[in-house]
Amino acid sequence: MWENILSALPLLFSPPVLLSMAVGTTLGVFIGALPGLSATMGIAVLIPLTFTMDPLVALGMMAGIYNGAMYGGAIPAILLRIPGTPAGIATVFDGHPMAKKGQGLEAMKIALTSSAIGGSVSALALLLLSPPLAAMALKFGPVEVFWLAVFGLAAIAVLLSDVPVKGLVSACLGLLIGMVGIDSMTGNERFTFNVMELTGGINILVLLTGLYAIPPALTLAQEASLIKKGSGKDKLGSNRKTVAWTRLVPTWCRASVIGVIVGIIPGTGGNIAAMLSWNETRRAAKDKSRFGKGAPEGVAAAECANNADNAASLIPALTLGIPGSTVSAVILGGLLVHGMLPGPELFTRSAPVTYGFILAMLVTSIMLFIIGRLGARLFINVMYMPPLMLAPIIIALTTVGVFAINNSIFDVWLMLLLGLVGWGMERLQIPLAPAVLAVILGPIAESNLRRAMLIGGHDTGILFSSTIAMVMVGAIVLTILSPLIRKVIATLTRQQKRQSTDTTPRMADGHNET
Amino acid sequence: MKNSLSKILLVFGTTTLIASPALADYPERPVEMIVAYSAGGGTDIAARTLVSYLEEHLGADITVVNRPGAGGEVGFTELASAKPDGYTIGFINTPNVITIPIQRDTRYEMEDFTPVASVIDDPAGFNVHPDSQFKTLEDLIEYAKAHPGDISYGTTGVGSDDHLAALALERQAGVQMTHVPFPGSSDVRKALMGQHIDLGIFNMGEASRDAAAGRIRTLAQGAEERWEKAPDVPTLKEQGYDLVIGSNRGIAVPAGVPDEIINELSQAIAEAMQEEEFQAAADKQSLPLYYQNPQDYQKTLNTTQERFQALWDESPWAEQ
Repeated sequence: MWENILSALPLLFSPPVLLSMAVGTTLGVFIGALPGLSATMGIAVLIPLTFTMDPLVALGMMAGIYNGAMYGGAIPAILLRIPGTPAGIATVFDGHPMAKKGQGLEAMKIALTSSAIGGSVSALALLLLSPPLAAMALKFGPVEVFWLAVFGLAAIAVLLSDVPVKGLVSACLGLLIGMVGIDSMTGNERFTFNVMELTGGINILVLLTGLYAIPPALTLAQEASLIKKGSGKDKLGSNRKTVAWTRLVPTWCRASVIGVIVGIIPGTGGNIAAMLSWNETRRAAKDKSRFGKGAPEGVAAAECANNADNAASLIPALTLGIPGSTVSAVILGGLLVHGMLPGPELFTRSAPVTYGFILAMLVTSIMLFIIGRLGARLFINVMYMPPLMLAPIIIALTTVGVFAINNSIFDVWLMLLLGLVGWGMERLQIPLAPAVLAVILGPIAESNLRRAMLIGGHDTGILFSSTIAMVMVGAIVLTILSPLIRKVIATLTRQQKRQSTDTTPRMADGHNET
Repeated sequence: MKNSLSKILLVFGTTTLIASPALADYPERPVEMIVAYSAGGGTDIAARTLVSYLEEHLGADITVVNRPGAGGEVGFTELASAKPDGYTIGFINTPNVITIPIQRDTRYEMEDFTPVASVIDDPAGFNVHPDSQFKTLEDLIEYAKAHPGDISYGTTGVGSDDHLAALALERQAGVQMTHVPFPGSSDVRKALMGQHIDLGIFNMGEASRDAAAGRIRTLAQGAEERWEKAPDVPTLKEQGYDLVIGSNRGIAVPAGVPDEIINELSQAIAEAMQEEEFQAAADKQSLPLYYQNPQDYQKTLNTTQERFQALWDESPWAEQ
């Protein structure tokens, strides 16, 4: 293996490849930062352009876009409360509160460093541990993926607002939206109202952009007429703090492992990795109440995990030809175009290019750190922009981005409609995150449960038939019961004291109702 | 400046003069090619590969426009309702283009298209895990006869060519198996390699690589004759089933395009497909090339439609 790595190095560090990686990373950051555009689309559009390129030049650029976009999504998430990509949802939770407290630059630095670390760990896992991890990916059948989705759904409970009913309304709305389209198990149309464009379901990017990007734009426009000039500057810089980097190390370790594991499981993506990682970090923390209100660890957990998902999702793609996510599926297409057939042969016959590509995932993670560092000061200026200008810019950019997904004007109208729904939800203080996560996780849980039941001859026993499944069931039960248990212990031991560190009782209530 | 302007005017003048009376000058402006699937997908990459060679032989620029949605229905509808002047062409994929109007009310019918050329024909493949007890299709059928419903088979979805292949086989062999639909062929392959299902049905183009590497075993292919890349895999016909099934991708135009234009397009596609470079590129993507002229392609589509309609009338594969 080492000789393969050594043989790939001169190829990788040739000027054209270095340049394409830098261009790709920069491009990726912008693609990720623009709501509606995603790494998947960026790479898909790029592939036909790379037909005539040298393979490693093309693949280096793809690696750059992939890593860049995963971090790029954090920029609007932190500054504007708009996740640029689905994987940026969890970054909003703590990133935007930090920006509001005047720590936007710090939040971006944390996001950047965490992304670079997550991306590097992931690339190293791809480089060193591919075969054993690929074998693990195959163990995840419908049963195991079903439980993983349920695990993710259980984590939603944490996001329920102070009024659990509102959070549940949001989650149920998400589950309903997730059902729109042709039922893949029977061919039935569900909630399509005879609209052709709805038969394929509602695209997650359209939903995400509508729910997350439009309401802040509307709110900005509203505030623009109310707020005095120049008050936007107060938000920024006034409250600079040095980041306690060493305190983030445990978070990075945890997030990297979660990101890599979720990455190799086919059918899951960076959004689930970031969500689980944020939730686990919160669970492990002593003072949970800081989370969701601008905890640096929250940003680090989400961003480290969604980049740790990147190269890991390529492990089953490269070794078995089975993509772990939509982005890796597109990258797989790019590899095929350049005559690289996935499988063990990839690591022998086309070793220089394959190892070159894997190393490019590592190098672009490091490049991202430098490019992002330079760009952070530029991006932060968004906060200085008068809301009167910012609001129309956001709406124009999202409209273009959403149209570009499927070249469909229907999607644009749908996004604007969902934007109004999102705005209404915000006015009613119904949290948005449960809805979006339910849209992502609901269909995964549903289809895999039904697949498992078909395979198992409609005997529920199959759901508990593997070790992985049992471990995950245990983890789910623990997640659901832990607030309750903690609450009971707290009441028993400190009945007299003021319960300042008590885990919020709302969660226990939420679980009872779930 | 003045000179070039007058040149432009001259060219503009002459072309518009000639263009209106005769179609002999087709194509005189860029052609739009509708792909009913997302950028970066299998059909898209195949289309874009073909386009770079087709442009040369047709003598016009071709722009690929992705119109994904509703399993291809969005793009097919757009193609069917385009102006029939030969400047909008598109890929149609079987079985979707045929089965969608059978399954539900659509804004297009098969009669709204005129086929131009078949480009790719990828037969269905019946695959098992290398450790499977089934060494031949006969083993599998025998087991299925003795244990109705025990064998689980994965396909790329309800109404996919894989699903229809299995239904037809079940009917002809008089067996019953359990269908487990997946979103895409890579999901079926993963479930098969992880031994979560007994039988994985997906196209030969997707199976050949894994079969060559020993990750799966292909028991049968749905081709008319054995595909050159899988000479050891018997066809369903050889094993006594009257069944030729797969996924066909070809070029069509909206009905009403003049015959001369259709023939010119078809000729250009045939020539592009003859190019060695194109064949090498198709080989890299494991695309089984299969050219058919407009008449033969029309016949193929007609028979396929009749067969699927009969299958649907007898036992609908999707709930209505």
